Amino acid sequence: MIIKKLFIANRAEIALRIVRTAKRMGITTVVPWHARDHHGPALLVADEAVELQGEPPVSAWLDGQALIAAAIASGCDAIHPGYGFLSENATFARDVVRAGLIFVGPPAEVIQLMGDKITARQFATRCGVPVTPSADEADSPETFAERAAAIGFPLLIKGSAGGGGKGMQIVHNESTLAQCIATARAESLRYFGDGRLLAERFVEQPRHIEVQVFGDSHGQVIHLGERECSIQRRFQKLIEETPAPSLTPEFRQRICDAAVRLAREAGYVNAGTVECIVSPSGEFFFLEMNTRLQVEHPVTEMVTGLDLVEWQLRVAQGEELPMRQSDIRWHGSAIECRILAEDADAGFVPDTGKVLLLNEPQGPGVRFDCGITQGAAVTADFDSMLAKLVVHGATRDLAISRLRQALAETVMLGVTINADFLGRVLAHPAFQSGETDTGFLERHKADLQPADWTEDERRALVAVAAALGRETHKNTISEPYASMGAWRN
Amino acid sequence: MTTYTFQSDARQRYQTSKRGQTVHVDGQSHSVRTLDANSFMTQVNGCLTRIRGVADGDNIHLHINGRACAVLRIDPTRASAASASESGGSSAAPMPGVVINWLVQPGCSVKAGDALLVIESMKLQMTIEAPQSGKLVDLPFAAGQTFQRGAVLARVVAEEVAA
Repeated sequence: MIIKKLFIANRAEIALRIVRTAKRMGITTVVPWHARDHHGPALLVADEAVELQGEPPVSAWLDGQALIAAAIASGCDAIHPGYGFLSENATFARDVVRAGLIFVGPPAEVIQLMGDKITARQFATRCGVPVTPSADEADSPETFAERAAAIGFPLLIKGSAGGGGKGMQIVHNESTLAQCIATARAESLRYFGDGRLLAERFVEQPRHIEVQVFGDSHGQVIHLGERECSIQRRFQKLIEETPAPSLTPEFRQRICDAAVRLAREAGYVNAGTVECIVSPSGEFFFLEMNTRLQVEHPVTEMVTGLDLVEWQLRVAQGEELPMRQSDIRWHGSAIECRILAEDADAGFVPDTGKVLLLNEPQGPGVRFDCGITQGAAVTADFDSMLAKLVVHGATRDLAISRLRQALAETVMLGVTINADFLGRVLAHPAFQSGETDTGFLERHKADLQPADWTEDERRALVAVAAALGRETHKNTISEPYASMGAWRN
Repeated sequence: MTTYTFQSDARQRYQTSKRGQTVHVDGQSHSVRTLDANSFMTQVNGCLTRIRGVADGDNIHLHINGRACAVLRIDPTRASAASASESGGSSAAPMPGVVINWLVQPGCSVKAGDALLVIESMKLQMTIEAPQSGKLVDLPFAAGQTFQRGAVLARVVAEEVAA
C-alpha cells in the first residue's frame, strides 16, 4: 500500500509541517480550509485545498464524516490527523479505515485503550509501569470521597475522559474535597460530556517527562528518547526540550524501557508518546499515552536528525521502521517554545487581532514552524498557538542562547504574543541550571515580570512612531486640503 | 507638533516634531534612519538599535529588543470630543481657528466618533467628531468663520433626550 495522495485533517503549522514531508516523499497533498480560516500557510504549499463548512469553524475540523468525504472526493488514499481535533478519536480512526483509506496513526483499538485514563492506567500497571496511587469513582461512587481522602493530600481530581488540563482540581486538604469534586465534575461534564472522576496522588514539584515511541505493523517498537515539558501554565506546555536536564543515563534508560514495554504490550503502531511525571526523589509515574504526533515532536527531530512524519507515513504504508533501536543517535540539545497569542503578563489571557507585521527568526540551528501569514486575523475560533520556535545546539547552553536570540527576532505585531515572556523564562538562572518542574512559572512569577521601559527607550519608540505615524494617519479631510497634508508650512 | 502616548501608560505624553531624519521628542533630537517601511535604526541607551513598527490608524505597534508595545497618536480632536462628552454633547475648539467645511448638516443623526466638520488651527487641519450618538442640533460656525479657543463647534443631543 503506497500512499499517493494524502489528506491532512488539520490546519495551521502542523498542516504545513506534514505537507512539507509528504511533498518531499512525492506524495500529493490536500489540505482543508474554511471561510473564516483561509490564511493558513499550508494552503500556499499544498497541491490542493478543499473548503470545509461549519459553524463555529472549529466544528468543521471535528466533523469526521465530512473530512472523510472530502478526502475521498479529492482522490486521497490516506488521512493524517495531525494533533488535536480528531487525532485521538478512535471512532474517526475506525471510520477512516472502513471508508477504505489509510489512517496515519495507531489502530482504533489502541487509541481507545489509551484514550480512557482509567483503562490506560490499569493497562500500565499490568505492564509493570508504575502509576500514582489512585481511586476511581466508577468502582464505587458512594465511597469515592472517602477512598480519595485515604490516598492522602495533596490530591489531584480529574475527569477520566479529560485532558489538556481541563477539569483538573488540586485538593490540599479534606475540608475542600467536596467542593473540588463538584467543580471537577461540572468542568468534565462541560468539556467532555462525561462526569466520571478519578482521584490520584498529586506529586509536588514534578517534572513532566515523556518518551517518544514508534512501532510498526511488524511488531517492532523502539523509542527516540525523552522530552522534558515541565514549563507549563494551566497544565499546558510552553517550553519543551530534549534531553531532559539532570536525568542520569540509568534513569533515562529505565523510563525509556518502560515506555517501550507499554507500547509493545499494547500492540502499538506508528508514533506515540508515553507521558510520565517524575518526583524530586526520582520516582516516575505513568500519566497517559498520547496516540499521535506531539506538538513538541520537533525537538526529537532536531537531536536525532530524523523526520517523524516521514516515519509515520512509511509505517502507515506497512513498511518496517527505517532504523533499529541500536542505530538511533542523539546529538546535542534542542528546545522548543510555543508562540501563543496571549498576554503572559496579564495572567496568560488570550489575545486576538490581525498580524500586521511578521518577522520569522532565522539563524544556525533555528527552526520556525509557523501557522500564520502576515495579514492573517488571529481569532478566538481556534487555538492560540501561532507558531513553534525550535532550536538546536551542541550543548543546552548554546541552545538556550540561540533560542533567546531567535525569540528576540520573532515579531508578530498587531496581536500580543508571549515571545518576550518566554525569553525571560530562558534568562532565569533556575531554568538555565535545569531546576525545572511544573511549578516553575508560579514559583518564579515575581522574577518573570517585565522591566519598566527606560525613558530612553520610550523616547526612541516615540521617535519611531512619529517617523511612521504621518503617512499612515487616515485623513478624513476633503480635497484639496487632504492632498496638502496636515502640515502646510 | 504631534502628541503620542503609550497604551500601557496614557498619563505621560510626548510632543514630537519631525524634520527629515530627525525627530524631536520633548525637545530632544533623535536621528531615525529608515531601513525599510517597517524597520528603523535609532540610538537607545547609547546603542544603535533596530526598532520595527507598523501603524494601524493612530495605533502604532512597535518592537524593540524582543519586546512589543503600542504607542497611540493622540488626535487633538478626539481629546476634545472626549472632554466634550463630559460637558454634555458639545464639541469645543481645542485652539482658535477657522471652519473649513461642514461634513454633516445640522438636523442629521450621527454616531459617536462621526466626523462633523473640518477646522484649521495654526495651519493644522483637524476633524471634529461627534462626542456622542444622537441628533446634530447645531453647528454654530459656518465655513470661513473664525472662532476662539473653547468655542462650541457642534452640539449633539442624545436621541432619547431629543425625542
